[in-house]
Amino acid sequence: MRNFVLFILCISFNQAAELELGASMPGMDHSMIDISGKDLTLGDIKGENGTLVIFSCNTCPWVIRWEDRYVTIAESYTPEGISVVAVNSNASRFEGDDSLEKMATHAKEKKYNFPYVQDDNSTLARLFGATKTPHIYLFDKSNRLVYRGAIDDNARDSKSVDEHFLADAIDNLIEGKPIEKPISKAIGCSIKFP
Amino acid sequence: MNTNVIKSLLLLLFLQACDKVELLPITSQEIMKIVEMKKDNKAVLLNVWALWCLPCVEEFPMIVEFGKVYDDLEVIFISADFEEQFNEVSSFLKRNGVNSTSYIKNQKDDPFILGIDSKWTGSLPFTIVYAKSSGKVIDSWEGIAPESKFKSAIDAALEI
Repeated sequence: MRNFVLFILCISFNQAAELELGASMPGMDHSMIDISGKDLTLGDIKGENGTLVIFSCNTCPWVIRWEDRYVTIAESYTPEGISVVAVNSNASRFEGDDSLEKMATHAKEKKYNFPYVQDDNSTLARLFGATKTPHIYLFDKSNRLVYRGAIDDNARDSKSVDEHFLADAIDNLIEGKPIEKPISKAIGCSIKFP
Repeated sequence: MNTNVIKSLLLLLFLQACDKVELLPITSQEIMKIVEMKKDNKAVLLNVWALWCLPCVEEFPMIVEFGKVYDDLEVIFISADFEEQFNEVSSFLKRNGVNSTSYIKNQKDDPFILGIDSKWTGSLPFTIVYAKSSGKVIDSWEGIAPESKFKSAIDAALEI
């Protein structure tokens, strides 16, 4: 019974509202262990011109379809001063499919070129109101949220994308222009809160 | 492989194909038209799910049961699986006793989600319940939910 009550509380808690556009980056001092073994915070990771936070995991079919674009986005924009981090908040699976060891293997296989950290107790996901993987949050150099949502409009095939939501938002940010489409939506796997 | 084995396999495949649940591609605009058409006649419970989504699969049989128990409730399932999983989705529906027409998303995510509920972040499962008399949204939620949450939304939708 107690577990059931906790489960219901978790459901309610997990449905906290998403971070609003313009909001400050939350949890900047929340320490998370990276696959390299280092402890990192968003404060450590943040980029000179902006920060891209991707809630992700090892097994979600939507992540698997989209994650090639994590790498190309990081390749294209890290030199422009945009830092990238993938955050695994599936805390209830840290003993299984989303263990640090499996995260390291996954990152190597997929050629991740950015930190991939474990969000203990799903704290960061809760602070962001993140609900799914992948779930994207882009902050400007003042750590204000300027874009949230999807990477693009085609998980299945990067060559058939019509709308590059995230890349367009980063381009807008770098050029100092207003973000044309600051919110987009995509289906994803629910974050597995503890 | 001998001829009899091949014939048996072909027969099995044929019988499976004949026994498939009607599964239609659909957009959010088309879903909303169906919901609108049910107004005054039935309350509607719309559930968006996917084969790969464990919580979706867990609560699925319970939702099928609601459709059988409540005469004035129309349960509409929409699969968010990729189109190449059409046959797997169809088999899953059949195994779970879905006899009515079911749907598979045939639209890009952004307009699909916004067309159903702008508050929905895209996480699955997603459930939304519409009132019988007004067609208005009674409740909507992301994630697996207990039977009591479904029942209270359905009761409110049916004004029980």
